[in-house]
Amino acid sequence: MDTRELLTHLEKLEYGLDSFSFSELKSAEASKLKESFEAFKNGLEEKVFGLPISDAIQTENPVNEKYDFQEGQLVANVSHEIRTPLNGIIGFLDLLQETHLNPQQKELVNAMGSASKNLLGVINQLLELSVLAAGQEKFEKVSFNPANLVNEVSFLCKTLINGKQVELLVHYDENIPKYLLGDPSKLSQVLLNLTGNAIKFVEKGEIRLHVHLKEEKNKKVFLEFVVSDTGIGIANEHLKHIFESYRQAEPETKLKYGGSGLGLSIVKEIIEKQHGCLAVSSTLGVGTTFKVILPFEKVQIHQDNENKTDKTKPVDISGKSILVLEDDALTQKLMGNRLEQWGCKAYITENGLFGLQLLESHHIDLLLLDMHLPGMDGFEIVQRIRKNPKFKNLPIIVLSGDAYTRQHQNFEKLGISDFILKPYNSEELLEKIDNNSKQMEQKIEEILVEEVEKQNEVVQTVDLNPILEECLEKTELLDELIRLFEQNILEFIGKTKMHLQSRNIQGVGFAAHKIKSSLKMLHANGLIKICEEMILECRTSNDLERLKTLFEDFVTKYPKVEMAINLELKRIKYKL
Amino acid sequence: MPKRKVLLAEDDHMLGSLLKFRLERDGYEVVLEYDGKAVKEKLQGEIPDLVISDIMMPYFSGIELVDHLRNILKSDVPIILISAASNDENIVSAFEMGANDFISKPVSPSELLVRVSREIKRHYCT
Repeated sequence: MDTRELLTHLEKLEYGLDSFSFSELKSAEASKLKESFEAFKNGLEEKVFGLPISDAIQTENPVNEKYDFQEGQLVANVSHEIRTPLNGIIGFLDLLQETHLNPQQKELVNAMGSASKNLLGVINQLLELSVLAAGQEKFEKVSFNPANLVNEVSFLCKTLINGKQVELLVHYDENIPKYLLGDPSKLSQVLLNLTGNAIKFVEKGEIRLHVHLKEEKNKKVFLEFVVSDTGIGIANEHLKHIFESYRQAEPETKLKYGGSGLGLSIVKEIIEKQHGCLAVSSTLGVGTTFKVILPFEKVQIHQDNENKTDKTKPVDISGKSILVLEDDALTQKLMGNRLEQWGCKAYITENGLFGLQLLESHHIDLLLLDMHLPGMDGFEIVQRIRKNPKFKNLPIIVLSGDAYTRQHQNFEKLGISDFILKPYNSEELLEKIDNNSKQMEQKIEEILVEEVEKQNEVVQTVDLNPILEECLEKTELLDELIRLFEQNILEFIGKTKMHLQSRNIQGVGFAAHKIKSSLKMLHANGLIKICEEMILECRTSNDLERLKTLFEDFVTKYPKVEMAINLELKRIKYKL
Repeated sequence: MPKRKVLLAEDDHMLGSLLKFRLERDGYEVVLEYDGKAVKEKLQGEIPDLVISDIMMPYFSGIELVDHLRNILKSDVPIILISAASNDENIVSAFEMGANDFISKPVSPSELLVRVSREIKRHYCT
């Protein structure tokens, strides 16, 4: 069954590739893409068609259960191996999208992109299910606030309704203890899946999410979650099959609503592995009700968290520019809304490369990073960012669904500033952003003091005050101008290198002339002097070797000037 | 009163952005172009109320632009040139060809604004 699913996606991809003209692109990406695709296809065929099917037919013997386990293992391994080249494909497609494509090519690349992402989604779910079924999933036991969790779930689900005449009604039992011990990320996965499903299948009407305290016994707390809708309903004969993998009630459903059909199987596994229970009842044309009962443990005395979150001092992070690298569409939406509410400017993308470009081209105060991204993964992104001294102090907060990522020894070493475990509530997020920004500002201040002392020795100073005045004190404009200045410098360095190589002295003079005006705007006196000497040299003696020496001097001194500019800029921005 | 339209030709993106910002703040509608070719194309559509151009522009210099406006397009739109201080002889030929004013680099935006408003007044309010 899974084979068919995978192959459908594959066919789409293949179709896209076939009608795609590689000869027109000739780029390295295109051939890499093709290679990656072929590896993926071959690997898949080998894995899927090479199965020892005959073994599975021997029924009614104890070997069968063992086989199921092995199959689970196999699926897990295969999924892993499919995922890697698929991530490659998605990454290269993203690159391809940034090249000059005509509208038809763009459409084809987009189609390939969405087919690949669908495929990745199916594989991820398949992997998750197999890990769950094999009993390898470890459930967490951490304290969490269930009311907050239900709030976040309902907020996320409301963003899903989008334009439909559907109302989500949430009822939460006040008697539920404020904190419980359990696995919050799995709980929100269950609730999101059930409620999300309801939203998908209801065109008009109501969806209710009710949470009750079912029973409190010794240390255990049993919560009942009821998700009911006024949707199309499910016929009795289909009802018993809906938790089976790859079953949707009717074949047409798949066509109309999409989805892999794995969601409910995952939900069922999660609930049963935690010793909970799940029931469904439905009437055609009236609606469907899912009931979940899950046990949690009581938290005896709750830690200092209580007064920490309830503190009255309002946290203000407005005006910050925050880059969010996250591939989950729901979380993207949620983040966007939250950050906007707090007065931040949010840049949200799932593409690591694009994110890095945004960092270069825009002023960003903080990065929220999901470690599991298609294409370039979180660790690589952090590495690339920290490699650039410009982003040495950029706070990077990692968002992660698995607790063990946090235990990663190298976390701090890698350059990750902080960590938020999913699911998190908005207060936590706000607090983390605030703390990390403040820490960074403090760090910058320390560095500034240090640098100012150092600067007494450095001759290459700059003065941004005159240009700030010309910007009418608008720091965002100044920011933008500095970014353009840096581009001018790069252009100057590149062009001059080229002209020196081709002995085009007039070209060197012209370039030096141009950059001199830019340098003058920032009063970068040290570099202006070098430029003037270069211009003079071009006009008079035409000594190429002397020009080369001057240019090398410029290139070695520039990084210090750039640093001085950035320090000045920060000083102005944070009014230090 | 409708906004006066200014065509700004400056290949230095930094200076261009700053001047555009300041001109817009003073109530002008500004179109910024980074190379001479684009400027020439823009002029084919519509002649603005004032043209500001750097002399050293890729493809089509500020001097050529003055010639193009006066002799091909037969327009008397006010032109202010931006020049690097060392190009004295260029400035003389620019004036001879019909440029109205010039400002040398490094450009002070405030000074440019005064020159712009003076040219506008001279040309449209007498």
